[in-house]
Amino acid sequence: MDVFNDLGQGIAALLTVQNILLLGAGVMIGMVVGVMPGLGPSAGLAILLPLTFSLDPTGAIIMLAAVYYGAMYGGTITSVLINTPGESATVASTFDGYPLAKQGRAGPALVMAAVASFIAGTLGAVLISIAAPAMASVAASFGPPELFLIVILGLLTLIVIVGKNRLLGAVSALIGFGLATVGIDIGGGQQRYTFGSTELINGIDFIPVAIGLFGVGEVLHTLWVGGHLEKLAYFSVKARAKGFWPTRKDFRESNGSMLRGSLLGFAVGTAPGAGATVASLMSYNLEKSLSKTPEKFGKGAMPGLAGPEAANNAASTGALVPLLTLGIPGSASTAVLIGGFLMWGLQPGPLLMEQNPEFAWGLIASMYLGNVMLLIVNIFFIPVFASIARVPFSFLAPMILVVCILGTFTVNGSIIEVGIMLACGVLGFFMRRYGMSPAALVIALVLGPLGEETLRQTLLISDGSFGIFLERTTSVVLLAIMAFMISVPWLVPAAKAGVRRLTGRGGNGPGGGTSGTTATTGTAGATGAAGATAGTPGAAADTSADTSARSSSR
Amino acid sequence: MRNTKVIAAGAAAVLSLTLAACGGDSGGEGGSGSGSEAAGYPEASEDLDWTIAFGPGGGNDIMARTIVDILEKNDLYPGNIVVQNREGGSGATGWGYLYSQAGEGYGISTTSGSFITTPLQADTGWQPSDFTPVGLMATDDAVFLVPGSSPVKTWDQWVETAKSERLVVGGIGTVNVDFIVSAMLADQAGYEVEYVPFNEEGQLITSLLSGAVDAIVSNPAEILGQVEAGELTPLLTTADERIDALPDTPTDQELGFEGIPSMPRGMILPPDAPEEAQTWWIDTMTQVVETPEWREYIEGNYLTEDIRWGEEFAAYLQETQSQFEEILTEAGAL
Repeated sequence: MDVFNDLGQGIAALLTVQNILLLGAGVMIGMVVGVMPGLGPSAGLAILLPLTFSLDPTGAIIMLAAVYYGAMYGGTITSVLINTPGESATVASTFDGYPLAKQGRAGPALVMAAVASFIAGTLGAVLISIAAPAMASVAASFGPPELFLIVILGLLTLIVIVGKNRLLGAVSALIGFGLATVGIDIGGGQQRYTFGSTELINGIDFIPVAIGLFGVGEVLHTLWVGGHLEKLAYFSVKARAKGFWPTRKDFRESNGSMLRGSLLGFAVGTAPGAGATVASLMSYNLEKSLSKTPEKFGKGAMPGLAGPEAANNAASTGALVPLLTLGIPGSASTAVLIGGFLMWGLQPGPLLMEQNPEFAWGLIASMYLGNVMLLIVNIFFIPVFASIARVPFSFLAPMILVVCILGTFTVNGSIIEVGIMLACGVLGFFMRRYGMSPAALVIALVLGPLGEETLRQTLLISDGSFGIFLERTTSVVLLAIMAFMISVPWLVPAAKAGVRRLTGRGGNGPGGGTSGTTATTGTAGATGAAGATAGTPGAAADTSADTSARSSSR
Repeated sequence: MRNTKVIAAGAAAVLSLTLAACGGDSGGEGGSGSGSEAAGYPEASEDLDWTIAFGPGGGNDIMARTIVDILEKNDLYPGNIVVQNREGGSGATGWGYLYSQAGEGYGISTTSGSFITTPLQADTGWQPSDFTPVGLMATDDAVFLVPGSSPVKTWDQWVETAKSERLVVGGIGTVNVDFIVSAMLADQAGYEVEYVPFNEEGQLITSLLSGAVDAIVSNPAEILGQVEAGELTPLLTTADERIDALPDTPTDQELGFEGIPSMPRGMILPPDAPEEAQTWWIDTMTQVVETPEWREYIEGNYLTEDIRWGEEFAAYLQETQSQFEEILTEAGAL
C-alpha cells in the first residue's frame, strides 16, 4: 500500500532525539494548559504557536500536534476528576467520567479515556491515509443546510441526557438557548440583550458558563449534601494497585464504543464547525441507545466515557481532512494551524498535499506520534492526577474554586466573565437541587448559536424555503441518518426480539461474557476490583494470560 | 545588560536628533503620563503595554507579533514589550483598554476593519478619531470569487447573471468590510444581490464549494491555494494595483469602480499621547517597514503595502468611516 508507505516513512523520518523530546515536552505542556479549566487545545496552540516559529516547520508541527493532544486530554482529566469540562468537546466526558471518579474509579476512567483516545487516533491516522481524497469531496459538500442538520443531530442528544425528566430538562435547554441569544445577531448585526455593555457584544461564552455550572455548581452541591464531612473510603491510585487499571469487563464493554466512536468522530470531524463537540455528543447518544444497560448511563458506565472520548479525538483527526485536502480549517484549532502554515511559508490549499507531500504526511505522522506519546506519558502521570480524587473534599473545594476563577480569568482577562462564571455556579447548584440538567443547558448554549446561524444562512440562501434540505444530496443523507438515530432505541429491542423469536432462546452472547457480567458497581475501588475478579472465570484463555501478566507485575 | 544600555544610548541619540528636527515644539507637552517624558521617549525602564484587540492566531494578532518580533530582533525598542491579547466585542474591549490610557505614551495597538466598524454598531465610548495615529502600513485587499466549476469566468459575466437571477454572496460578518464591498459593487454595477454573513472562513469557503452560495468576498491569503488548484475563480480585487499572486485578476478601479475599501492594517497610540511618542513611533515604524522581515510578512500574507503616517492616516480613517456609515445606513444594517 502506497499510502502506508508514505505514512511509515513520515513516521520514520520524524523519530529523531530532538523530535521525541519536543513530543514529550509538547504533551506535558499541553496537559498543563488543558488541565486549566477554560484553556483548551485551540488556546494552547495559539499561545505556543509563536514559540515554534524559531523551530523548523517539521519540529514545530510535531510540537504543536503534541500540545494539541495533551490539551485535549487535559480537558478530559478535569471533566472526570472535578466535573469541569475545559472545552465543549469534553462536556460528554463528564456524564459518566465524573460518576466513575466519585465511585473511586478515577484511575480506570482516565486510563480508559487515554486508551480510547489512542485507539481513535490510530484509526484516524489509518482512515486519513486511505480516505482523505474521498472524504475531501464530502467535506466540500457541507454548506449551511448540512451544518444545520449536523447541529440538530447533536441536539438530539438532549433527549438522551434529559431522560425521563422531560419538563425540567426542556426548561434547562431553553435557558441555554436563551443565553445563546445574547450578543450580536450574526444575521442582522443587531445587538440582543447586551444592555449597552461592550463585554457582551460577543455573547456569553461557553467557558465561564460551563466552568460555573459544572465546576462551582458541583462544589456547592457537594457542600450542601455534606461531602466535606464525609470520610473518604481508602482506595489506592498507585499504577500497580489492582483498582487502578480498567477491568477486562470495562474493556469488553467499551471495545465497540471506542470503534463506533472513532468512525463516527472521524466522519463528523470532517464537517467544518462544531465537529468534535457534536461527534462526542452523538457518540454518547448512540452508545446509550445501543447499550443493554442504558440505565447505568450517567451513573458511571464505562462505554459512556470511552465512546465520546474516542469520538472527540477522531474528530480532531477528521478535521485535518479539509485542512490538508481543501486548505480549509475544520475547527478552531486547525484555524490556528493555518495561521502557522502561512508563517512557515506554506500555502494551504487543495494542492498542499501534492506540492508538499513530506509536510502533509509529516503532519499526519506527528498527530499519530502525539497520540502515542500521550499514552506513554499518561501511564506515568495518571496516578498523579488520579490522586486528586483522594484529597479530602474540605481541602479540594477551595482549590477547585480558585482554579475555576483563575481559569476563567486567564481566557480573556475579563472580570465580567468571572462574574458570569460565579453566577452560573449558583445557578448550577439550584439546577442540581431541583433536578434540572446543567448538561442540557450547556449543550443548548454551544449548539444554539451555530444552529441559529446556519438556519438563518440556509433560509437567506433559499429565500425562505425549507425545500433546500431535500434538494442537496448531503442534506438528504443527513436527514436519513437523523431518522436512523431517532429510531435506534425502538429498532434495537425490536431486532433483538426478532432474533430471540427466531432462535427460540435468550439473547445471550457467546461465552456468557457480554451479558453475564452484571458485576456490582460499588462505591470504592475495592468493589471495582472485586468485580474484576468476579468477571474472570468465564473468559477465554488469551485474556486470562493477560490477567496473570498483570497480577505478576504486582 | 551592557548591550541594552548601548542601545538605549543609541536610541536616545536618534531621539534627540528627531526632537531637534521637530524644532523643539514638544516643549509644552506634559501629559498625565509618567512625568519623565522630559528625559526623552522611550525610557528603557518603562514597559511597553502592547494591546492586541483580538484573539491569538488572527490577522491582527499575526501582524502585531510580527512587528514586536522585528522591534526586538533589531533592538529598536529599549525597554520590555509586554504583549496582551484583549479580545472581546469585536475589538471594543482591547481598544477600549487603550482608550483608557489617554495621555500615556507607553500603550500601543494595531488596527483592522473592526476598528472602524465596531464603533458604528456599538456604543463603545470611543471613536477611531480619538486615538493618536501612528500610521497605516498595509491593506488587506478583498477578492471576489466564484467556484471554479461555475460558468461565470469574468466580472462582466457575473454582472450579467446577477441582473437576471437571484444570486447569493457570502462574506465574514454583517457590519464588516466584506458586506460593504459586496454592497458597493452591486450598487455601482446596478444589480441586486443577497448577502449571507458567516462567522468563520472555513464555513464560508465550503459554502461556496458546496454550491450553497454563488460567490464570496475573501482575502488573498485565505483563497490563493484554492485559486491555484482551480477550485475558485477570482473575478476582482480591491487592491490599488493587480496583486502579484493574482496577475490575471483585474482591480475594481480597472473595472470602473470607485472608492471600494480594503481592510486597513495600521497602528495607534492612546488618545492625546505625547507628541514625542508619536514622532518616535512614526520614525521607528519607517525603519520597521524597510526590514526584510516586514517584506516577508507582507508577501507571505499577500497584503498590499500602503503607507500613510500620522495625520494622513487619521484623515484616511475619518474618510473610510464616514463612507462605511453611509453605506451601512443605506443598507439598513445600522
